[in-house]
Amino acid sequence: MKQSKDPFEVAFEESSPPDSPVEEIVGGQIEDEDDANVNVHPTSTPSAAPSSGTTVPPTAKSKDEDEEEEEENMDVELGKLPTSGDPHKMAKMQAILSQFTEEQMSRYESFRRSGFQKANMKKLLVSITGSQKISAPMTIVASGIAKMFVGELVETARMVMTERKETGPIRPCHIREAYRRLKLEGKVPRRSVSRLFR
Amino acid sequence: MNSSSAGPSSKPRAGSSQPSDSSFKRKRGVFQKDLQHMMYGFGDDANPLPETVALLEDIVVEYVTDLVHKAQETASKRGKLLTEDFLFLMRKDLPKLNRCTELLSMNEELKQARKAFDVDEEKLATME
Repeated sequence: MKQSKDPFEVAFEESSPPDSPVEEIVGGQIEDEDDANVNVHPTSTPSAAPSSGTTVPPTAKSKDEDEEEEEENMDVELGKLPTSGDPHKMAKMQAILSQFTEEQMSRYESFRRSGFQKANMKKLLVSITGSQKISAPMTIVASGIAKMFVGELVETARMVMTERKETGPIRPCHIREAYRRLKLEGKVPRRSVSRLFR
Repeated sequence: MNSSSAGPSSKPRAGSSQPSDSSFKRKRGVFQKDLQHMMYGFGDDANPLPETVALLEDIVVEYVTDLVHKAQETASKRGKLLTEDFLFLMRKDLPKLNRCTELLSMNEELKQARKAFDVDEEKLATME
């Protein structure tokens, strides 16, 4: 699944000294996400569903694009490899990032760098499936999906809080309400088989 | 046949007869630290309440469990559980699907880069 230009390799060859990419690769598993610059070309990955062909509601799509843009520009922001993303989006992201307050910046950094430990996720997957054959990409995908799910829960919980006009840290009752709403939307997988035996 | 070891912990060993979804031996707070950072990143307080973190951990574990079980249902026809089964499950949820494909392609790129770097190192080593 070679992309037409491989931004990571281009940058790797041209300017960065051999040390820095290695440090970043070897050093932190969480950091890896910030290193590589990816233009998401759905058609170039064999395992990708043809998402380019489906119609997306505009709000969901713009939010997703923002997440991807943020990835590319976060790299520039951190002084790592240059990106070859869409210059307009990059410029927009740069403009936004430069105006962040400190608190916003630290929150954004937490958002980007947080993630489930691969080892823990792998143990969990092994214990669920009962088999040892959990490939690394599977762990990566599961961690990514779980992180986004946490994001949905927390954001919905915040919405619940604003509706109830409450402030402060999120409480379990908010999470439960958020979970209930997500279930209604169908975003939580439910096992249909067990209902037969009620 | 002595079954071994006092190995560390309560984690189930491979191949041992564990009911696949009971996981009562799971330690509490496995994801606690990660979850705290994540919650802050997504909008919670800098110090989220411990009961909220615990609840979130339970929800996430249940979510991943249900996800894997559903993936196994589609994979059972093929026999092996593959990454594609997860992608198939996410087909309706576009942000997650795009994120997964992005992560997978980033992983591929990093692998290629590492390979290229190892090759370069070898060349340097043989040169000197």
